[in-house]
Amino acid sequence: MKALVLDDIARSFGGLPAVDGVSLTAPAGRITGLIGPNGAGKTTVVNMITGLLKVTRGRILVGDEDVTEADAPMLARAGVARTFQNIRLIGDASVLDNVVAGFHRHEKVGTLANLLGLPSAVRERRELENKASALLERFGMTGLAKHPAGSLSYGHQRRIEMMRALAMDPAVLLLDEPVAGMNDTEAHSLADIFRSVAQQGVAILLIEHNMRFVMSLCQHIYVLASGQLIAEGDPDAVGQNPKVIEAYLGA
Amino acid sequence: MMSFFNSYTPLLELALFNALLAFSQYVVLRAGVFSLGTAAFAALGAYAAAIMVTKLGMPAWLGLIAAVGLGTVAGALVAVPLARLRGVFQALATLALVQIVLSITLNWVDVTEGALGINSIPKTIGLFGMFCAVAVVTYLMSAMGSTSIGRAFDIIREDETVAVSLGISVPKHHMIAFILSGAIAGLAGGLHAYTSYSITPNEYGFNMLVMVLAMVVLGGRVSVWGPIVGAVVLTALPELLRGLQEYRTVVQGALLMLSIIFLPRGVADTLIGTLRRRRITLASTKAKAVTI
Ligand SMILES: Nc1ncnc2c1ncn2[C@@H]1O[C@H](COP(=O)(O)OP(=O)(O)O)[C@@H](O)[C@H]1O
Ligand SMILES: [Mg+2]
Repeated sequence: MKALVLDDIARSFGGLPAVDGVSLTAPAGRITGLIGPNGAGKTTVVNMITGLLKVTRGRILVGDEDVTEADAPMLARAGVARTFQNIRLIGDASVLDNVVAGFHRHEKVGTLANLLGLPSAVRERRELENKASALLERFGMTGLAKHPAGSLSYGHQRRIEMMRALAMDPAVLLLDEPVAGMNDTEAHSLADIFRSVAQQGVAILLIEHNMRFVMSLCQHIYVLASGQLIAEGDPDAVGQNPKVIEAYLGA
Repeated sequence: MMSFFNSYTPLLELALFNALLAFSQYVVLRAGVFSLGTAAFAALGAYAAAIMVTKLGMPAWLGLIAAVGLGTVAGALVAVPLARLRGVFQALATLALVQIVLSITLNWVDVTEGALGINSIPKTIGLFGMFCAVAVVTYLMSAMGSTSIGRAFDIIREDETVAVSLGISVPKHHMIAFILSGAIAGLAGGLHAYTSYSITPNEYGFNMLVMVLAMVVLGGRVSVWGPIVGAVVLTALPELLRGLQEYRTVVQGALLMLSIIFLPRGVADTLIGTLRRRRITLASTKAKAVTI
């Protein structure tokens, strides 16, 4: 069980600050909310946590490990998983193969065994496919296992992103607008899954544009506007905060 | 039947040689590496094999080991400085490698006999040997393709950001791709030296580079059938178009262009994709029929 801690992280692009001093804690076993209007810097925060972007200032901790300088593959192997706001799947590959890809950090069979197609490699592939099938079942997508991911609906593609991230068996899970474009029923069925994942001890950081959805799921919410935190607290406090209301109406 | 084989043996050997070269190109393209180094690796393999037999008096099997070994080492050595390069920069850097190898084979006359090439290499490999080599490489490529390495290659090629976010090491997999490309091309070159009696530097130049690239683009770069289909088509096409004489290259070029425009994923990958879709539709209509 590991918490995610951001300590005053910042990032600018061409001299313009996109994120300017964000500190937050996402405890293990909880869903922590990070909301804010478009362009607030939410995705930039996720990109810094996952090592895709270097911070210009501040520290990032996973558990008691300082991962500020770690690159993306190192962070993935340390158990940080994410979904992408702008859905990034291998469109030609099957749903099953997209989910199997998430297991990469757990693969144990060596390069040579894979290359020679040794029984150990074949066995590992079958095991991963079985685990992926179990995830598909949990998300109600068993019948679509063989379909090319790119041919499916938006809601299904978002779910594949989720499954791929869960396949990593993460300690920290970053969800970048995971229900954007979904209807309420679809969003609710995912919310149940988020809750059960958190219950297993995962630290979830839920990034959302949709305030209502976050408020129904999180005990603690941070609000980002123009790269800075303008409020934090429980859903009620945040919802009534005049600065938050202004940031949302002004956007 | 026998006479058919006899008269077509050189062409079949050429097709199998081309298939090996295409596999060398395929493996890097599949991993998203735009390497043009296949011609250089093949030249190294061919010269290693030829020199081992003609100058050092070694047996052919040792020559083949040297050919594969040299290709492998060259692939690994190239991968290190190229780890940070992508796309067109990889292409330019590996093109430079082809030119370096070409100028070595042309100018290091004491060892390579220069532009005349190495002649009277004993023919120790026949159609059967070539066939076995292609079978082994096809097996390795398909084994690789269905396990962790092939999957990582596909993800890196399609979206490097996703790959690193899943914990896939790009430098490691680019290294594997270069090593395999070098080893397969080295083997191809060595086998070519032992089937064709003579080798010259210019065989392994710009023409080969373009032809090999065309084979994989035409055939497809995901399924293992891609390089095979591409090699067979581009080996047979010049023969089929023989009657057109000087228009041959024009027609060939136009056909290639059309196939790239209409089948950008290559013949084999497009065909496999279509069949898969048809199977899925068929299966789901059947499933519906059952529930009704
Ligand atoms: N790679 C980048 N290069 C330049 N500017 C960027 C880049 N990524 C994000 N930005 C800028 O940073 C700001 C925050 O963007 P982002 O983090 O995507 O916001 P959000 O996810 O909250 O909508 C925006 O003004 C955006 O234009
Ligand atoms: Mg965003």
